[in-house]
Amino acid sequence: MGGELLRENFQLQGRNFDKAGEISSEIKVILKELGIAAACLRRAVIVAFEAEMNVVMYADRGTVTLVLTDKAINLEVKDEGPGIPDIDLAMQEGYSTASDEMREMGFGFGMGLSNMKKNSDEFCIESEVGKGTSVFARILLDSHA
Amino acid sequence: MPELKHGFKIDTAKCDGRMHCMRTCPTHAIRVKNGKAHLIPELCIDCGSCLGVCPSKAISATTISLAELDRFKFKVAVASPALYTQFGLNDTPAHVGRALLDLGFDAVWEYAADIELVDRAITDCVKKWPGPFPLISDSCPVIIRLIQVAYPSMIENIIPIEVPREIAGREVKRRFSQELGLRPEEIAAIYITPCQAKSISILQPAEESKSYLDGAVGISEIYNDVLYRLRKDTRKLKSDTQEGLMDSGELFHWGNPEGEFPNLSREHYLPLTGLTDIIKVFNDIERGRLTNIEFLECHACRGGCNGGNLTVENLYVARSKDLRLKAKMPQPPPEFENEVARRYASEDFSLRGPVKPRSMAKDVVDLRERVMRRKRAEEILRGLPLLNCGLCGAPSCKDHADDVASARTEISDCVFLSKARIDQLRKVYKKGPRASRG
Repeated sequence: MGGELLRENFQLQGRNFDKAGEISSEIKVILKELGIAAACLRRAVIVAFEAEMNVVMYADRGTVTLVLTDKAINLEVKDEGPGIPDIDLAMQEGYSTASDEMREMGFGFGMGLSNMKKNSDEFCIESEVGKGTSVFARILLDSHA
Repeated sequence: MPELKHGFKIDTAKCDGRMHCMRTCPTHAIRVKNGKAHLIPELCIDCGSCLGVCPSKAISATTISLAELDRFKFKVAVASPALYTQFGLNDTPAHVGRALLDLGFDAVWEYAADIELVDRAITDCVKKWPGPFPLISDSCPVIIRLIQVAYPSMIENIIPIEVPREIAGREVKRRFSQELGLRPEEIAAIYITPCQAKSISILQPAEESKSYLDGAVGISEIYNDVLYRLRKDTRKLKSDTQEGLMDSGELFHWGNPEGEFPNLSREHYLPLTGLTDIIKVFNDIERGRLTNIEFLECHACRGGCNGGNLTVENLYVARSKDLRLKAKMPQPPPEFENEVARRYASEDFSLRGPVKPRSMAKDVVDLRERVMRRKRAEEILRGLPLLNCGLCGAPSCKDHADDVASARTEISDCVFLSKARIDQLRKVYKKGPRASRG
């Protein structure tokens, strides 16, 4: 998928709700400064934000890696968390295991994973219960210009 | 793209290079090199923050003066609701309207009707909108420019409805050319504006169409003349013969240039004022939040248009006047309601052209080069003091690093990296004792 132009790593802290969204904001700033087309930028930021929220809500810690090539924005998210027992179920719109407390804070409406998939051109997710989850999303640069 | 015009100019002769404008600019669009401020036009969103802070009074709004209107045969004032909040508690909109006529306008437009029309168009649009949410109001030109420059991914959230002042301009031309047998270009539709941003949006609309209005006169420009006439015995004004036009200001939903949207549900409609707060909310929207909000009404000036930088009265006093006018607002007469209904059925309120992200100078190089520049800028930033002292002429070390990486300036402009720079600054800023210091 073209030559790698840029790679940035970010650390995520689980259950740190007041800082939630900071990493996706940083990713947004980087992509915006690079003049990425508006529609791609929007999709990438939504994917990054949902991924970040999932880690913050469920995991102990995680990482986001942004890899930019001439052709695509790639986001790799890995966490150390409870894992997802049934991925097909979790991918359904509206399915959520968020606690009442999380919902009261405005999170966990069960749109996260499906929203990430909807906003990516390639999407894959792997999970092992008790260990963690990893997500890969690719947003093509020219497909939504 | 045509050359970008802006709502103010920097008078280089007056500029003392004191950097107040550079430090206050929310989009970091100003640099001060060799003791003189200059603008990066692509970054400027016409918010006017620089206008008020210049200690040398070197920055002025490019509105037009009344004298420039003489070339028109018939001059119509379309007055922002903010105008009526600028005078004493007992000065009614009718009095202010009279003063405008005495000032040389041939008519004062009943602008409340256009505001009401756009109100309805917006309410309809919000109800039928398939997404993305939230929709964002377009009446404040600074907000549109902010989105073009800093939030390009939110362009689709801008409500595709024309602003009331343009709807008014169109109807002014149509009505009076019909009634008076004049050509539309012989009729001037002049907006009485609370800010220079609306003046620039008339000169160069963001959606790249042509404005129906012929210019904007700042409230501060006519304030003294209007006040003088209000304090004279108003019964003796020659304009008293034109009673039919008198009450044009009575029916505004005061303060909000786009009305109050009584038909939108409270919890899904959010009014926002002040650039700092708006930027915070926009950051949230860009992360895909706030999708349960249907409509954001945004005004860059704190307190809305009553706080515009070409207003004269203190915002809070203006607001109290505003509340008084609202409390006294009469029930609209049936003729008003009928006229609104008639026009709503027959006019098109959609925004005429699409708003596009503003193309930046950096778009001319390819992505690979842009990534290289970013890496260079990061490298350069590591060698800078991160004090944001501004002595290099850029508002922050990061801006200086970006400027150097794009070869717009020399890294040695940083005083921490070059002794010669201090000597040079000393020369530029060494002046005789001055009469006044801000």
